[in-house]
Amino acid sequence: MRLNKPTPLRPLIHYAELSKLVSRLKIPVHWHVKKLRRGDVPGPEGRLLKLRASVTALFKYERIEMDYYPADEARGYAERLISEAVRNGPQCPETMEMADWWLEEKQLVHKLFKVLVPRYQNYPTSYTNFYRAPFWYFSDGFQPQLNEEYPDKEINETIPAFRTVSYPKGLLELKGNPYPPIFPSKVTNPRSIQNVLLSSAKDFYKSKEGGSERLSNAESGRGIEFVPNEPKSDENLIESSK
Amino acid sequence: MPLRQSFHHITRAGRWVFSKPKNEVCSRNFSNSIPVLNSALRRSSLFDAEKEKQRQAVGRIEKIEVDVVSDFGNELLIMNKDLSTPYDCTKHISKFVGQTAVVALVDSNQPWDMHRPLSEACSLQFLKTTDKNPWIPNNVFWRSCSFMLGAVVTEAFRDDISVILHSFPSPNIQSGSFVLDAYIGLESWIPAPEELRQLSKEMIKLSERELPFERLSVTQEVAEEMFSDNPYKINHISKIFGNHNEVVIYRVGNHVDISRGPMMSHTGLIGRCTIASTHYLKEDQLYRFQGVALPKGHKLNHYAYGILEKRAMLLNSHMIPSEASLSYEPTPEYATEAKEVSN
Repeated sequence: MRLNKPTPLRPLIHYAELSKLVSRLKIPVHWHVKKLRRGDVPGPEGRLLKLRASVTALFKYERIEMDYYPADEARGYAERLISEAVRNGPQCPETMEMADWWLEEKQLVHKLFKVLVPRYQNYPTSYTNFYRAPFWYFSDGFQPQLNEEYPDKEINETIPAFRTVSYPKGLLELKGNPYPPIFPSKVTNPRSIQNVLLSSAKDFYKSKEGGSERLSNAESGRGIEFVPNEPKSDENLIESSK
Repeated sequence: MPLRQSFHHITRAGRWVFSKPKNEVCSRNFSNSIPVLNSALRRSSLFDAEKEKQRQAVGRIEKIEVDVVSDFGNELLIMNKDLSTPYDCTKHISKFVGQTAVVALVDSNQPWDMHRPLSEACSLQFLKTTDKNPWIPNNVFWRSCSFMLGAVVTEAFRDDISVILHSFPSPNIQSGSFVLDAYIGLESWIPAPEELRQLSKEMIKLSERELPFERLSVTQEVAEEMFSDNPYKINHISKIFGNHNEVVIYRVGNHVDISRGPMMSHTGLIGRCTIASTHYLKEDQLYRFQGVALPKGHKLNHYAYGILEKRAMLLNSHMIPSEASLSYEPTPEYATEAKEVSN
């Protein structure tokens, strides 16, 4: 039988005074502590050890994918560590002690003060990004299970996590990392291959509708000369799309 | 839809999802074809021998400095002269660059194949179709699509139907489709939609194998020996050697063809592909295969892609062989960038 645990009481601290001691984090931190799956060491210590591995991995690889709730917890500690490092620098013994404990590999302590602190010196925002990640990927060879109990169902209805235990996944990254962005930029490029194809198709159909004898590029019989750094052909292309 | 069907019976090519085809003409499976010592294999083995010969001719290994220029800063690499390729350079940078780069740019003006050895110290850039100005990689991609279509067409037909590739014109993206001209031993063949879909499917299968485009420049004797069974190519080769003393050939899998190049790094860069139509060119007695494709990672909704497919169904009159030969001598795609004959 499951008993309702009493909710923990908030400690009686004046928050205005607290903010003088530690910097205010720029991410939403949930008050309720999530239960994590048990590791090798039980209790709060084991919990911290698990989170330490995640924080170390985050500082090492700059983008990690893991279970959502541990990642959310680890994010807070990573933010705290970076903000302390930015605020106090390597001379502060408390900050150095904290970095020494949270980063299991010593070269990451150097990375924190020599690479990340200069990077985040003037960041007005948080230092990490956090996304929800999918449970599975088709590219990993995921085969959707067919639902044999309900054979009348469409295939697509049976895809989401049928008979699979899946914990929510999260993707945690340090901002300013060298990897390609997670979401492609929405800036449109008129020279990308789709846009070249579509604008030339538009020209083609327009010339057909008007019945004019203007030859499209296709019919003029002139191939593109393969000369790089020749802006002329590209300029023509953009003009034609207008 | 019967639901016991597993996903192995469903394939996607272009915008169609269809079950396993029951075709009449296009019945051979490209990826699982039985190895017969046909002309393609013979050509491929000749290619192997020539490649090995050129590799032996390098002799003493010398070092060159290659300066790789990228958005994240420059990197100086010490590579082997006449052995190391731009692809080898990417191994020192990141796997991602090696997978996504379409073509390299040497000394910021000369497009260079990813699998072509570097001959002297140079600066190197890697070009992708997602660049700000993707004009070079786009054209390289379009040319490579024509080349891959040649590989698919030679393999896709039944053994008793003779297929002789003629040529493919220089890439013209604005014409709406990439093109391949070939002689097919069929009279008044109008392909069924399933046959075209099968060809599209073979293109996707070829792209899934991620085969590299290998480049070689060879002498007249070797080229003529390779293409001895193809009268069109023999004709082209003799035309080329009027102006040049080398001809550039490429290989994907077992398929060897002449092209000026450069080609893209590997076949896996094709994301979406449709072979839209074939047209019979009466004067040349050739079939013109037309298709449209997008590089991997480029997204386009079905409606817009449908517009491109519809346009690719119409005859692409870009450099039809009989008309082009009047104004162009020889056809530009076959011109090589090798040194001009000095005398």
